[in-house]
Amino acid sequence: MSPQLTRRELAQLAGVAALAAPFSRHAHAAPRARVGLAALPAEGLTPASARAALEKALVGATNATSAAAAVRALFKPTDTVGIKLNCLAGRGMSPRPELVEALATLLGNAGLARHRIIVFERSTRELRRAGFLPGDHDTYRCLAIDNDYDAEPSTSGSIGSCFARLASTTCTALVSFGVVKDHDLAGISAGAKNWYGIIHNPNKYHDSNCDPYLADLLRHPLVRDKVRLTILDGVTAQCHGGPAYRPDATWPLGVVAASTDLLAADAWAWRVIDAERTRRRLPTLAAAGRPPRWLATAHQYGLGVGDPSQVEIVGA
Amino acid sequence: MRRRQFLAAAAASLLAGVPRLASAQWSRPPDRHIEGREASWYRQLPDRRVECQLCPRACQVADQERGGCGVRENRGGVYYTLVHSLPCTVHLDPIEKKPFFHLLPGARALSWATAGCNVECKFCQNWEISQFRPEQVASTWLPPEELARQARNAGARLLSATYSEPVVFWEYVRDTARAGRALGVRTTVVSNGYIAEAPLKEVLPHLAAVKVDLKSFRDSFYRQVVRGELKPVLRALEVIRAAGVWLEIVVLLIPTLNDSEEEIRDLARWVRGNLGAEVPLHFSRFHPTYRLTNLPPTPVATLERAHAIARAEGLEFVYLGNLPGHLAANTLCPSCGQLLIQRVGFTVRENRLRRGACPACSRTIPGIWS
Repeated sequence: MSPQLTRRELAQLAGVAALAAPFSRHAHAAPRARVGLAALPAEGLTPASARAALEKALVGATNATSAAAAVRALFKPTDTVGIKLNCLAGRGMSPRPELVEALATLLGNAGLARHRIIVFERSTRELRRAGFLPGDHDTYRCLAIDNDYDAEPSTSGSIGSCFARLASTTCTALVSFGVVKDHDLAGISAGAKNWYGIIHNPNKYHDSNCDPYLADLLRHPLVRDKVRLTILDGVTAQCHGGPAYRPDATWPLGVVAASTDLLAADAWAWRVIDAERTRRRLPTLAAAGRPPRWLATAHQYGLGVGDPSQVEIVGA
Repeated sequence: MRRRQFLAAAAASLLAGVPRLASAQWSRPPDRHIEGREASWYRQLPDRRVECQLCPRACQVADQERGGCGVRENRGGVYYTLVHSLPCTVHLDPIEKKPFFHLLPGARALSWATAGCNVECKFCQNWEISQFRPEQVASTWLPPEELARQARNAGARLLSATYSEPVVFWEYVRDTARAGRALGVRTTVVSNGYIAEAPLKEVLPHLAAVKVDLKSFRDSFYRQVVRGELKPVLRALEVIRAAGVWLEIVVLLIPTLNDSEEEIRDLARWVRGNLGAEVPLHFSRFHPTYRLTNLPPTPVATLERAHAIARAEGLEFVYLGNLPGHLAANTLCPSCGQLLIQRVGFTVRENRLRRGACPACSRTIPGIWS
């Protein structure tokens, strides 16, 4: 059996299966959210193929007539867009520079000046390890938060944190550019968990599988109101041993995912990871004691569609 | 300059006044990688995970992740402390500031802290260092032997691990206490007492005294306001007492949260019944800060009521703190009421003790007096 999901299998993950346990207790009607998928095999990946895949995923996510139209609908030329990467796991399991470059190009084509497109991560070291060079690039600026946080903490439910000034002050719009991987405590690390990287004290909020902490962070106005888009580099995904890179637990998923919903891409990622775990005879995340409960909590908060059965997959 | 930067700069300038420390390099490079050293209390789990055995949280930490304290990191299945020999603040304090009231009155303590804490008190006064990771604060390289040497050279009779939470830099505390002892400088710890029994017992023989912040006598308070638990703290108090290490307790009274008569009475009874009437108990005044800015400072009357309750329950040495000039900062003989030590703020105005006893009735006063 091929380790890569077929299109049919991907489609099955779109929501045909039963509701996951955390939602069954309090399922309620919610609008379906879209996740746009586009195939992008690692083999032969080029800037052009990356851009084509990203554009297709964006169209799928937004139902726009084109990727350019989708980006113009989401961002204004006067926005300063922060693209938050997740580079914790190094080059093996971080967003690919080709995809990030493709997004920056689309933003530039939508009228945003280069200095208004900021690709960022927690530290310079993490950026470099993932293949991103801090500084000015042709289409974006690459910056690290390092230690530039707000001077005072801001509270949202159970969390109290100083936010990176890049996110709180500099940027008017945010994009989560994550990966598709397992997480030892949160269950998954995809688009939402990436936002732990903009607070100074994420280590305080990993108890109880990050629930309700991660949902409370997503509910903070800085996240809830600024995040316009989630993109997941699923060219290679990881079903176990995260958040660090574990080559033996990766597989070539071969897709790029996009969603304008704060939670839907994570809901999709959860199903994909569980499917691969099942294929490998590993327990599902729920059976392993770490279902992403925060996703259900965030769904209950009304932040988006975290219920995998309510996510519509478009493309791939 | 932001407050945290100011504190770091202040710490640096103060440290510069300590002999031979003027050349210490306080730095916060934008991308500092901290080498760290292997932690002493943890066990390895499958899949390169580890379980920390330092505090009751018992964090299970995946590769590349950190424990709840933010200062211990799993690197490929080996757990590292990132704060050994890396203080973010060093300061010469009067020992009364800790507060220790029965320990070498008027002595100076070279006090130090690293970043990090294993709980998250919503009222933390030092959150700018306790709630940050080591790479987020300015710090300097100061190995235990050097720290102990600086204390001796500065004329400090004591070293004090304090400000943030010494439990999270417990290896550094242990090694500094050993180094200090070799130079005749005794080490004290100011802690939340949220520590596992084994590491506590291992380090206690090297310590002269421990002050524990007992945040409340209600587990619900610990869980909701501190994000810890009461029971392990009470156990730590018993272990410290049983080890014969000098112990004092501080309770920060916060309006409406932990200041009920019933709770104070329960607490005082427990201290008397389980630790002894001679253990000093300090009630301290709360000031709004960090995430608890919606409550007023503790009324003086509340503190005085707590003092009266604890005395009525039989505790012999009850003090009020954060109330400069209040008479309840003085030490009185529990037998005859004689004024023994008069304090104003952190200053000892008068010490009438004679060889650790009351000059009027000869009652021995517990503590370390010489």
